[in-house]
Amino acid sequence: MTEVALFLCAALLVTVIAAIFSKSISVTVIMLFYASLVLGVIFTIYQAVVVGLLHITMFAGAMSVMLMTVVLMTGESKLDIGNRKLAALLAAITILIVAASSYSLFSGTSSLPQSPSQPTEGILAFVWMFRPWDLLILIIIFAAAMIGVVNLLSKEERA
Amino acid sequence: MITDQTVFATTATVLFFLGLFSMFYSRNLLKTIISFQIVVFGANLALFSSGLGHASNLMANTLVLFSIVVGASVEAVALALIVLVHRAYGTLDPWKIRRLRH
Repeated sequence: MTEVALFLCAALLVTVIAAIFSKSISVTVIMLFYASLVLGVIFTIYQAVVVGLLHITMFAGAMSVMLMTVVLMTGESKLDIGNRKLAALLAAITILIVAASSYSLFSGTSSLPQSPSQPTEGILAFVWMFRPWDLLILIIIFAAAMIGVVNLLSKEERA
Repeated sequence: MITDQTVFATTATVLFFLGLFSMFYSRNLLKTIISFQIVVFGANLALFSSGLGHASNLMANTLVLFSIVVGASVEAVALALIVLVHRAYGTLDPWKIRRLRH
């Protein structure tokens, strides 16, 4: 399992470094999309399927589309990869990520060592007991953010 | 011996500091937001790796879930602000915006 972790972490670092150091914003957004995808795959492989899927939906899906929209609205960069070789490389990376995740998901059991209970288990159990409140807080935060965004973007039209 | 937890923790640290470095040095507000997203990725991976192999794995997952939602919300608001700033000043360079304000 460590080899898969190393491979995925290397892929994550490569995509993040490419995102940071690329001069074109559109390439940065595309690389960030791949980084989100790789991180989601890491979560999914290590038995946090819900977290992984939410991460992919939220960052690789929603946030990438929002970033692309803002790039288009501000006209900061042409949304053109401009190089067929780069496009082929990106496609190959996607196929590799999907293949690696499929191999790990369908190759059978993956055993993680379970340690005996920790001293903090009592506190964690307390927090876990009030999980519905946590979900409610999450929904409130998200709804507040969306209301804030709608309000900010509609201000100019009202004025 | 290198474990998965060590690999993830190291990657998370590198991601966090790369994002922070990029946040400080970028001359474009959009790139600053992207760097913030990378910092959030690092934090998520660190939280996740802290729960690997422990009985508190579910708790770590809950914290990652929380971090994802908070990070996405902050980023959505920041992107809306960026659109407003671009409408008002016509640029996303923070230094130019500072000069235009005065």
